[in-house]
Amino acid sequence: MKELERAARENDQAMKLAPDEELMLEVRNGTGETLGVLFDRYHSPLYNFYAKLTGDRTLSEDLVQEVFLRILKYRQSYEPGTPFRAWIYQIARNARVDHYRKTPRHITFEPEMVAPVMPKDSAQQSEETELLHKALMQMPEEKREILVLSRFQELKYDEIARLLGCELGTVKTRIHRAIQELRQNFKQLERGLAPREAGPAVVKNIPPRRFGNEM
Amino acid sequence: MKCEEMEALLPDYLQGSLRAEQDQLVEQHLTECADCREDVLIWKKLSLLPVEKPSAESRERFEAMLQAYQTGRSDKASARLERPKRASVWEWLRSPVGAVAWSAALLVIGIFAGNLLGAKTTHTNANQDEIVALRSDLANMKQMVVLSMLQQQSASERLQAVSYSTRTDQLDPQVMSALVHTLRYDGSVDVRLAALDALSRHGAQPQVHKGVVDALQEQQSPLVQVALIDLMLEWRDPDAAQRLRNFEQTPNLNPTVKQRADWALSKLN
Repeated sequence: MKELERAARENDQAMKLAPDEELMLEVRNGTGETLGVLFDRYHSPLYNFYAKLTGDRTLSEDLVQEVFLRILKYRQSYEPGTPFRAWIYQIARNARVDHYRKTPRHITFEPEMVAPVMPKDSAQQSEETELLHKALMQMPEEKREILVLSRFQELKYDEIARLLGCELGTVKTRIHRAIQELRQNFKQLERGLAPREAGPAVVKNIPPRRFGNEM
Repeated sequence: MKCEEMEALLPDYLQGSLRAEQDQLVEQHLTECADCREDVLIWKKLSLLPVEKPSAESRERFEAMLQAYQTGRSDKASARLERPKRASVWEWLRSPVGAVAWSAALLVIGIFAGNLLGAKTTHTNANQDEIVALRSDLANMKQMVVLSMLQQQSASERLQAVSYSTRTDQLDPQVMSALVHTLRYDGSVDVRLAALDALSRHGAQPQVHKGVVDALQEQQSPLVQVALIDLMLEWRDPDAAQRLRNFEQTPNLNPTVKQRADWALSKLN
């Protein structure tokens, strides 16, 4: 009995250490028990990918579920030997595109959807974070996507190139342009020149906490 | 170095994948150029954006989805197994598919028993009658199954029902009118097309004929419309031309469908 338990534990351990590709192969050939391990590894990165891209938390959670459902449904189409990370991001991108095809969005930027969870830092920093978030959300989606992929999802440029189906050089150029645009957006917002969102943005300029800091 | 040259180097610089001498070139440029410096700064600032945590339900939803998926699969798998679990046999016998198999099995047992008895008694005629009776029972059973399956929620089950109906040569009037109803009102285009296909074999029956021809005016799906036009052409309906001309007056008719109707009209004349 004890040996059985030990074997089970070792098996568990092995599963937690196994590379994604191996786990996915098991999902492909079995019924999907190992998918849980892949879920643990990827659901938070994918959620953040969607959240930064769409600014909508509920939608992001739904899309993450959709990705894992698709992995189950289409597990036979996973080709052994292909990098799993590239595959799952491909599915993630498709899931998002399909979602917008079904329910087209009318607005790309909705202030109430945004408000990221603020780190409990100084008031100045949280203000900066908010501006940064706004600057990012003002960008066209494909530029935002490439920034999110390279900066937050930590995908290598060649991985991104394969994912987007373009040359490595093109990826670098696009990333550079996206950074420039983000910088300009951010500057404009800082100067208050941007097409500003009424209300909250203005109020946030004088948060009560700041007075405390100064005195 | 100029800013244009930075385009090729900056992204690699940010990921720290430049060779030492290129790295120095970039840093040199950064001391001279405020814009590029700010590019680097904003990239670094992006780390201010917090990593967000998915909600706790996320994992639960995933587990539920996985479980539902696995249950669905094992149901399918156990139907294929020779000795499935007791509970699933019962479930399966209660399902429409099970009912057909079940009645088929009864028929085989009946024939077998009949043959055994027949060997002993030689009243072969009586046995033949019995077999005929059993066969007609089976046909009735199948039709009941078709009728009940056509009411199912799932389009794939309704599709299955339609394809069952094609296995008997003679259609019960009740099944026929159910199929006509399906052709007209089913929510799924696939199911409607399958129903049309099933009905097309029974064009000789006036009830079917009328039902199919009447369905054209109400169809919304171009696919079904085209299939209906083709069938009317095939049947050479006496008033097909008149009906097609009426049909062409439908507002917002799909151009492809209109073309098909024109083509059919030219063939008819």
